[in-house]
Amino acid sequence: MNRRSFVAQLVGGAGAMAAGARMALAQQPDAKPAVHDSMAMMRSNLFAMDQSAARTVVLPPKRDAKPSMTPDDRNALEHQIRCQCGCTLDVYTCRTTDFSCQVSPAMHRDVMGLVEGGYSAQEILNAFVGTYGEKVLMSPKRSGFNLVGWFAPGITMLVGAVLIARVIVRWRQRTVNQVEERPVRAPQHQPSSIDATAEELARVAAAVRSEDDRA
Amino acid sequence: MTLIGELSLWVALLMALWATMASYAGGYYRRGDLITSGTRAIYATFAMVLLASIGLWTALLTKDYSLEYVASHISSNMPSAYIFTAFWSGQAGSLLFWELILSMYATVALITSRRRSPELIPWAAGTLGAILVFFLATNAFKANPFVRLDWLPVDGKGMNPQLQSPGMAIHPPNLYLGYVATAIPFAFAVAALITRKMDTDWLAIVRRWALVSWFFLTIGIVLGMWWAYVELGWGGYWAWDPVENSSFLPWLSGTAFLHSIMIQEKRGMLRKWNVVLVVVSFLLAIFGTFLTRSGIVESVHSFAQSPVGSWFATFFFLCLGGTIYLVATRLRDLEARAELESMISREAAFLYNNLLLCGIAFAILWGTLFPVISEWVRGTKITVGPPFFNTVNVPLGLLLLALTGVGPLIAWRRASVSNLKRQFLVPAVAGAVVLVALAISGMRAGYALIAYGLCGFVATTIFQEFRKGVSARRHIHGEGFVAAFVHLIARNRRRYGGYVVHAGIVMLFAAFAGLAFKTQHDVSLLAGQSYEVRDPYGHDWKFVSQGTSMSETLNRITMGVSLETWRDGKRVGLITSEKRQYLDSQKNPLFQPSTEVGIMTTPKLDTYVVLAGVAQNDQAELSITFNPLVMWVWIGGFVMMIGGLIVMWPQAERRRAQAGYTSVMLPASRISTEVPAGV
Repeated sequence: MNRRSFVAQLVGGAGAMAAGARMALAQQPDAKPAVHDSMAMMRSNLFAMDQSAARTVVLPPKRDAKPSMTPDDRNALEHQIRCQCGCTLDVYTCRTTDFSCQVSPAMHRDVMGLVEGGYSAQEILNAFVGTYGEKVLMSPKRSGFNLVGWFAPGITMLVGAVLIARVIVRWRQRTVNQVEERPVRAPQHQPSSIDATAEELARVAAAVRSEDDRA
Repeated sequence: MTLIGELSLWVALLMALWATMASYAGGYYRRGDLITSGTRAIYATFAMVLLASIGLWTALLTKDYSLEYVASHISSNMPSAYIFTAFWSGQAGSLLFWELILSMYATVALITSRRRSPELIPWAAGTLGAILVFFLATNAFKANPFVRLDWLPVDGKGMNPQLQSPGMAIHPPNLYLGYVATAIPFAFAVAALITRKMDTDWLAIVRRWALVSWFFLTIGIVLGMWWAYVELGWGGYWAWDPVENSSFLPWLSGTAFLHSIMIQEKRGMLRKWNVVLVVVSFLLAIFGTFLTRSGIVESVHSFAQSPVGSWFATFFFLCLGGTIYLVATRLRDLEARAELESMISREAAFLYNNLLLCGIAFAILWGTLFPVISEWVRGTKITVGPPFFNTVNVPLGLLLLALTGVGPLIAWRRASVSNLKRQFLVPAVAGAVVLVALAISGMRAGYALIAYGLCGFVATTIFQEFRKGVSARRHIHGEGFVAAFVHLIARNRRRYGGYVVHAGIVMLFAAFAGLAFKTQHDVSLLAGQSYEVRDPYGHDWKFVSQGTSMSETLNRITMGVSLETWRDGKRVGLITSEKRQYLDSQKNPLFQPSTEVGIMTTPKLDTYVVLAGVAQNDQAELSITFNPLVMWVWIGGFVMMIGGLIVMWPQAERRRAQAGYTSVMLPASRISTEVPAGV
C-alpha cells in the first residue's frame, strides 16, 4: 500500500464515521479533506457522530467593527462552546485534536466571523444558543431552572453543614448533661453492655487515673 | 468446552438461586443444614462461573466465530494478549467477568468470616446469592456471551483499536475488582441490619472489604486516566465524562467510609452514617453501571448500551428500597454510644471530611444527571461539562486537601490550643512560605497558588509525623534511621499507610494544579521544517520535523511523524506520533484510524505531540502541548496504591489493639485523648 492509498483510506475511515458523508466519499475517493482523522474519530466508534450537525451562526458586522478579542480570548471562548458532532468536547479541543471533524472547524469559523464583526463573548454565546439551543454551551446558563443545577450542590453542602453543626451541638449538650448528672465511675463498674476487652478497660482505667491525678 | 461453559452459566444461575433461598431460609429458621447448603451453593456458583469463563476464554482463544460475542470482538490477526482481554471488552463478557469476581469474592468472604461472625453468614450469603442471581439472570437472558450466529463468518470484526492498549487491558479488571468489592460490605451490612448484630466483627469484615474496593478503584481510576491521556489524544486525563464520574462516585463514598469508620472504631459514633455509606457505595456502583449501560446520559464511553439498563434500574430500586426499610426499622440499634465533645477535634474533622467527600459526590452525581432532569422539567437539552464540575468541585477539593493535613494531627475528643500550636505551627508556616514564594515568583493563578500552599502544608504535616515517629523509635529502641522508619510503619500500618496515601493525594493535587499552566500549539510542518516555542517554565523548545513515514505490521498500517526535539539549544530526543489504520485479515480497514500520542515525560513537564492529520503534500498537522507535572499524577496514584497496600496488610489483633483501632464502645469522657503513636 502506498502513501496515497493510505491517505485515501484514512479519508475513507473518517467517512465511515459520518453516515451521510460515507457514500459521498466512496463515490469521490479523491475528494477533500486534505487532512484526516483523529481521536474523536476513534471515539466515534463508541458514540456515533454527526458530521452534518454544523449550522451557520452569522450576524452582520457591527459598524466600524474591530476584532472584539485576542486569539487567546477567542480560544477561551471556544472552550465554552460544545462541538455538535457528538464528541462531547468543546470546539477548541475538538478542532485542535480531530482534523477529520467537519463540525468544529465550521463552528470555529463562525466564532471567528463574529469576533471580526465586533461581537462580545456574551453576544457570540447568545448567537450560538439562538441557533443550536442551550446544549451548545459547555455548562448551563446561570438563569431560570438552571440555577437549581448550579446551586443545588452548594445548598446541599450548607444543609449538610447545618445538620452536622446541630448534631455536634446536641451531642455536646448531652455530654455536658451526662457529666453533670452522673459522676464518673471507675472502669471496673462499667455496665456489662460495654463492648471492651479487659486489656482495653485497664488502659482506660490508667488514663482515668492519670486524668484524675492531673486534676 | 464452549458448550460446557454455556451450560455452566445456567447451572450457576440455578446455584445462586438455591444459595439465596437456602441461606435466607436457614437464617430465618436457624437451620444449620440449610445454611451450610446455601453457603456451599455460593462456592458451587463460583465454580460454575469459573467454568463458564473458561468456556468463553476457550472460544476466544480458539477463535470460535460461531459465537456472536467472539465474532464481534476479535479477529484472526489480533495480538494474543488482546484476544485474552477481549473477554471483558463487550457487554456480555464484562457481565460474566463481573460474576466471576463477585462469586470469587463471595467465596473468600464467606470462608474467611464464617468463624468470626457465624450469625451473619446466612444473611450475607443470601444477599450475595441474590446479587449473583441478578447478574447471572441478566447475563443469561439479556446479554448472553454464548449466543450463536446462524452463519459462520470467515473472520471476526476485531477489537476497537482504543481497547488494544496495555492500559485498557488492565484498567477494566481493576475497576470491576473495585466495583464488585462494594457488594461484600453491602451484604454484611444487610446481614448485620437483619440480625441487629452491629458489633465489632461486622466492622472488621466490612472495613477489610471496603479497603479492597477502594484499593482497586484507585488503581482502576488512575489507569483509566493514564489510558485516556495516552490513547485519546486530547491532552488531558479527566473530562468529567459520565462514565468517569460513575467510577469516581463509589470511590468518594468509600473514602468517606474509610474515614468515618475510624470514629466508630474509636468512639462508637456514626453507626447509622457508616451503614448508610456502605449501602450508598454499593448502590452507586450499581447506579453507575445503569447510567452507562442505559444510554440515559450521553457519554463517549457508552459502548455497551443495551436493554440491560432497565434491569439495572429495577435492581437498583429494589436494593434502595430494601435497605431504606432495614435502616429505618433499626435506627434504635444504631444509636451512637459516645458523643462529640468539641467542634475542634479529630472526630469533628472526620465529620467535615465526610461532608466534603459526600458533597463532592453529590455535586458530581447532580451534574451528571442534571441534563436529564432539565430535559424532563423544561424539555430543553443542556450540557453540563467541565466548566460546571470544575467550578463546583475545585473549591471543595481544596478544602478537602486542607482537611487531609488537619484531620490526622488534631487530637481526639478536644484539641487544646497547645495541641494545635504544637502540631500545626510548622506546617502552616511551610504552606505560607510556599504560597508567598510562588506568588513572588510570578504565579498568578489563584486556585493553583492556594493548591500549592495547601500541598506545602499537608506535605509538612506528613513529614512531621514520620519525623516524630522515627525520632521516638530511635530514642526508645536505639534503632537506625531505616530500621526505625520500617518498624514505625510496620507497628501501625493503618496510621502510617494512611499518611502514605495522603502523600499520594498531595502529589495528585500538585499535578492537577499544574493544569492551570498548560499551553497548546497547533503546528503544520513539512519535512525539515522547524517550530520554536517557549514552555510554561520559560525553556525554549525547537521541534524539527523528520518527515512522515509509513509501515505495516500484523494488523495495522501506521503513518508516523518524528520530531527531533531541542530544549534550550540541547538535543533531548525524538518524539514520534502515529496514525494507525487497523486492518482485518483480508487487509480491509477496520474501525477508524487511531492516534498514538508522542509523549516526552519529565518530572516537570510532559511534551505531548499529536499527529492530527497529514495533508496530501505530506505536511504533518500537529498539536504540541506542554502539560506541567503530569508525571506526578501517575506517581501520586502509585504512592496511593502503596499506601493502600500498607493499610490493607494484615496486622495481628494485638497490634491493632495497641494502635487503638479495636472497636471500643466506651463513654466519651473515659477515652484517652492522645493518639497512639505506634512507636
